[in-house]
Amino acid sequence: MSGSDVPTDIVGAPMEPLLTESRAEASDEGFPALDVVDVHRRFRDVEALKGVTLEVWPGEIHALLGPNGAGKTTLLRILVGLLIPDAGDVGVLGQPLDVMTSRHFRRSFGFVPSGDRSFYLRISGLENLLFFARLHGLAKRQAVIRSRELLSMVGLEEAAGRRVGLYSHGMQKRLSVARALLTEPRILFVDEATHDLDPKGAEQIRELVRDQARSGVAVVWTTQRVEEIRGFADHVTLLQTGTVRFQGTVPQLLASVPRRRFLLRVRPGEDPAAMRDTVAGLAELREGSDPEHVVLGIAEGETLGRAIAALERAGVSILACTEEGSGVEEAFLFLTREDSL
Amino acid sequence: MSSGLDVVTRSGAIREEGRKLLAFLRRDVLVAWSYRLPFVTDWVGMVLQALVFGFVGKLIPPSALPRFGGEPVDYLEFVAVGIAIASFLAVGLSRLMTVIRQEQVQGTLEALLLTPTAWSTIEIGSAFYDILYVPVRTAIFLGITAVFFDASYHLAGVVPAAAVLIAFIPFVWGLGVISAAATLTFRRGAGGVGFIVSIATLGSGAFFPLAVLPGWAQAVAEYNPIAIAVTAMREALLGGSTWVDVWPSILQLIPMSGLAMILGAVAFRAAIARERRRGTLGLY
Repeated sequence: MSGSDVPTDIVGAPMEPLLTESRAEASDEGFPALDVVDVHRRFRDVEALKGVTLEVWPGEIHALLGPNGAGKTTLLRILVGLLIPDAGDVGVLGQPLDVMTSRHFRRSFGFVPSGDRSFYLRISGLENLLFFARLHGLAKRQAVIRSRELLSMVGLEEAAGRRVGLYSHGMQKRLSVARALLTEPRILFVDEATHDLDPKGAEQIRELVRDQARSGVAVVWTTQRVEEIRGFADHVTLLQTGTVRFQGTVPQLLASVPRRRFLLRVRPGEDPAAMRDTVAGLAELREGSDPEHVVLGIAEGETLGRAIAALERAGVSILACTEEGSGVEEAFLFLTREDSL
Repeated sequence: MSSGLDVVTRSGAIREEGRKLLAFLRRDVLVAWSYRLPFVTDWVGMVLQALVFGFVGKLIPPSALPRFGGEPVDYLEFVAVGIAIASFLAVGLSRLMTVIRQEQVQGTLEALLLTPTAWSTIEIGSAFYDILYVPVRTAIFLGITAVFFDASYHLAGVVPAAAVLIAFIPFVWGLGVISAAATLTFRRGAGGVGFIVSIATLGSGAFFPLAVLPGWAQAVAEYNPIAIAVTAMREALLGGSTWVDVWPSILQLIPMSGLAMILGAVAFRAAIARERRRGTLGLY
């Protein structure tokens, strides 16, 4: 991060510096693959980005989260050179964005757009890849070899000769990943790649991207499927209305919101009303979907431990306790709630 | 900061861009081939068009038409050259106008822009198939009128006529690029360009002799590139004019074509810059 502003969390406390030692060491070159400093962009009277700053290092999957209209796609379009920022600096592989329009820089990144509308549907997957490979400057023979190699890698070898219009969403998305990798890019931008895929298709895409990150590619992954970043992304930037609401690792994101709701499994026959009285003041208790489960909502300033201890003292037999709902989703909702602005 | 990383020489880059045109051509041949019916209907349409004008020609005596090379011509011969040029203009123009829109609508424009490809290559490449197909189609149309409807053309005039066509192509290209710029800016606002071209074609004498126009329109036609091209090609193909005869028309067309090209390039670049500023390039 070249700016002097230290990112802060939602209450203004300094957050852990983004440039950790391990991240710096991860880059052989000593500079981030992507260095975004105080980027602003306005569309007429709407300020889409209000000073966004972030870094992405080689080998890292950086998730860009945010609700609709948060500015994710605007930021991504700036990063790939399709949109000009009003202010701020973007460094790509140690070079400023303005030289990114040159041949070298366009070969340095791959882009997987959201949606399927980026291929010629009347021609085959192989022909589409060959076309884009040639536009990337690959010689004919080289283009054929690379295209076939990538089709095989994304599992489309058998569908290579089939018209793209006949591909499923998942297949088109995999083809999109293949196209993004034609030039063996050092940065991969992935825009909402999994939003319309089934879980298996989404996992295939994530696995392809994960492989790229393992080989040192810096990945920027925008998504609204917040739960998918757990165990996948290394770092997260959460945007809301063009402002960075959170930056850090996924565990830091999870830790940013206190756990409030837990699902308790109790011995059948326990009386919910009595349990409710027992935890009064410590937690709110409501019945679950079956007699064996209750949901415990921890009161502000109280802890799960105190509530459970109270129940056990009252003779309630607790068989299991699990966090209710998605931690990432809760963090997302917590950080993007209106009163946090 | 200097990029310092672009080691591609200028001549190397030009060669690379040239090779990309072949990729565009391959893509468009494959796409066109996937739609076989329009091929067939286009060719059948050409035959029907020749048939219609063949019958209309029976109503118009050669004496009502101008002479070329001192020889009378019949209406089909007269109008075939006009139709060839008008179709050339219409197909070339509409294609240039629609390719960018098509790329926008099918979502491939941004994918193209993300490749290290020059704008001029995308412009030319997107219409390269038609640049090659339209002259062939024009020649085929004239061939159909000659083979099936006894139209008579001077073979010696083919090369001078081709030279006129070559001088005229940049004019069509320039108009097409202006239309493409209008399409980028106004999305569906390219109709204005089509209207202007219709007026210009009307005053070009493509379908009737210029002599039937009012005096002022005849005077304007002297500066209408379409009229100049139509007349010069008729002189070459119907009157057997030589290089020497068509050369003044070519000299007239060259600056007009150059101007159209320059205006087209300026308009297109301005349209792209505007779209990038506004972030609306991919919107349609």
